[in-house]
Amino acid sequence: MRKIKYTLLISALFAMAAFSYACASEDSSEASSSGGSNTLQEVLDRGMLKCGVNDNLAGFGVVAADGSFSGFDIDFCKAVAAAILGDSGKVEYTPTTASNRFEALGSGEIDLLIRNTTWTASRDRELKQDFTAPTFYDGQGMMVYVDSGYNSIDDMEGATICVLQGTTTELNLDDRFTGTGMSYTPLTFETNDPLQAAFEEKRCDGWTTDKSGLASKRASFPASAGGPEALKVLPETLSKEPLGPLTRDNDSEMYDVVQWVVFGMMQAEESGINSSNVSSIASNPPNPGVARLLGASFEGGEVQDFSFGIPKDFMQKVISQVGNYGEVYDRHLVPLGLERAGSLNAMWTDGGLIYAPPFR
Amino acid sequence: MRSFVDNIAQWSRFQKNRNLVIQVSFLIFVALLGTYLFSRAFQLELSLSHFRSRAGFGLSHTFLVDYTSNDSRWIAYFTGVVNTIRVCLVAIFLTTILGTIMGVARLSKNFLTSRIAWLYVEVLRNTPLLIQIIFWQIVFLQLPQISEAITFGNTTAISNRGILLPWISDNGGAQIWFIFLGIIAAGSLFLSYFLNKREDESGKYFSLAGKKVNGNLTGIIFFVLVTVVTFFAFGRPVSMDIPEIIQNNKGTWMQTGGFDLSPEFAAILFALVIYTGTFITEIVRGSIQSLSRGQTEAAEAIGLSKYQSMTLVILPQALRSIIPPLTNQFLNLTKNSSLAVVIAYPDLFMVSRTIMNNSGHALPVFFLILLTYLFLSLCISLVMNLINRRVTRIGT
Repeated sequence: MRKIKYTLLISALFAMAAFSYACASEDSSEASSSGGSNTLQEVLDRGMLKCGVNDNLAGFGVVAADGSFSGFDIDFCKAVAAAILGDSGKVEYTPTTASNRFEALGSGEIDLLIRNTTWTASRDRELKQDFTAPTFYDGQGMMVYVDSGYNSIDDMEGATICVLQGTTTELNLDDRFTGTGMSYTPLTFETNDPLQAAFEEKRCDGWTTDKSGLASKRASFPASAGGPEALKVLPETLSKEPLGPLTRDNDSEMYDVVQWVVFGMMQAEESGINSSNVSSIASNPPNPGVARLLGASFEGGEVQDFSFGIPKDFMQKVISQVGNYGEVYDRHLVPLGLERAGSLNAMWTDGGLIYAPPFR
Repeated sequence: MRSFVDNIAQWSRFQKNRNLVIQVSFLIFVALLGTYLFSRAFQLELSLSHFRSRAGFGLSHTFLVDYTSNDSRWIAYFTGVVNTIRVCLVAIFLTTILGTIMGVARLSKNFLTSRIAWLYVEVLRNTPLLIQIIFWQIVFLQLPQISEAITFGNTTAISNRGILLPWISDNGGAQIWFIFLGIIAAGSLFLSYFLNKREDESGKYFSLAGKKVNGNLTGIIFFVLVTVVTFFAFGRPVSMDIPEIIQNNKGTWMQTGGFDLSPEFAAILFALVIYTGTFITEIVRGSIQSLSRGQTEAAEAIGLSKYQSMTLVILPQALRSIIPPLTNQFLNLTKNSSLAVVIAYPDLFMVSRTIMNNSGHALPVFFLILLTYLFLSLCISLVMNLINRRVTRIGT
């Protein structure tokens, strides 16, 4: 009996070793080829898109009590899932932090990173990741108390500034102050809640982060500390912050799909196509341009195929399930007080930067 | 003819052989797992060469290091290490005192004293340190805002930007003076020791205006006299740095001068001292209780006061069993200090997080953090082991 038990144990151990070796060799071969991987094919095979997002930024990505995600960035995850898999619900969200997001993408834990990430030269080059079209043009701003008397950052010599760790924010802040020969004390917090506590007690004179973030924090500033009226965002913009989705380097199929889904949503807004009228327009496109965008037939002609490797009518699914760019913006960012008119995020026809290259 | 299977059965009959198979297969398993993990890890960039580039971010606490954002990331990291060491050293010193007092109080026959110590341990040992750190941050933020700072004459200013205390500033030559004072201090100690020994052996002592002046007092008087004389002889190397709160022409309130005890430093210090103190209390109490009752009774029998019996008989013996677990608590304190990151105290973990975020290379920086904490912990262990060796040698 004893002998049998040992034999079993030994064989089990051998089986384990063999299994682990098989796993290791299989994974390493997969990993070694990741230089030119095809994430699009992986997503199609898996039937699920793994999207790295923010779970704690009002308007852009927040997780609700029931575990569901919503926000501006989340809607672009949904749009990509709708385009590739035909269902905007087939997304597995992975909350990422500012410091682990790039490695989450690089290691293959997620397929796509949409987490209010600023496009910079060093990130594009050193991180071996590619930025697709920006979805939102942000800029770093400074929020101060109205009663401080500050009208410009130039007034803030010697001030203490609360800054949230994890982005280029501290670098832009330092460039602005030391670049103009002003002294300042940065108070760098890792998370938002202790920072807000310190700012409410006037431990610091200013609070700097992206203007979109400041707008959402100002809107929810507690009445006990004076409410939104006690605060103002200085007009100056410290930095250019184009935010957009990222894919891995040399992953052209996935990159193209993400990029053109974003452009498609912008083009849809320009062409007046939204989630409520997309099905009627697709069944009877008014002109060949709209037909090409929606992958529909214009007066019985052949359907344009852009060979993205996904269904030709992907933009119909995106727009019917998620909406066009303007709808997504209005749904999530207007409630924060981020007005679109006159900002960089207006359509190019209205003087903004939202511009899609032609679909042809 | 025996088959192959029979041979195996024969071979596996020995315990040694069977163990060999199990061990070898386990080793293979671990090796494969290791290879797999490392192969994944090494796809990422592992060099620290980016540490030579300009840091580009400011730090709120630059103790002893003259850091500006123009320095390299190495200097920024070093500033963080200094901040960690600073808070840990002060905290270790204070928590040892607090823990010893509370440990003795825990055994007090006075009902109120022992209950207070018991309450302190039970409440603060059983709540998470992170919560306590944030609690102390909020407490220190409740100090008056800087525009309404409390000032005591020209000496101290208290606001939630920090507690400003008078300090000394260098007028040139302060370093040489400090080195000289160090030598004088050593000389004074030797003088006291020598005079005390002479009194023990021959009964001779100085007297001043008919009163006896013992060795300790002589040493102190000597030190003070030399300090005053050299202060003028060196041409007043230091002067008082008076703290002041001013408002500049743009309306910004600023602190100048003095020694700034910032609310962030105070919060992390309080939390670490009070939290770790609970464990040290229990260590001290346990070690005292592990001594035989006979020790206390013997001390009483030869007429020692309660204080004398504690400091001369009980604690020196208890130290033997206090030191090893105390080392663990010092190590825990050092590692827990990384929680300072949540309240904006720029310790080594916070600075490295900033560097990680700016560079995008998390893994190699994490290795560096691990090595730094390992180094700090080993230094503490080394010192404590030396102390332990000395304590255990006495009386043997």
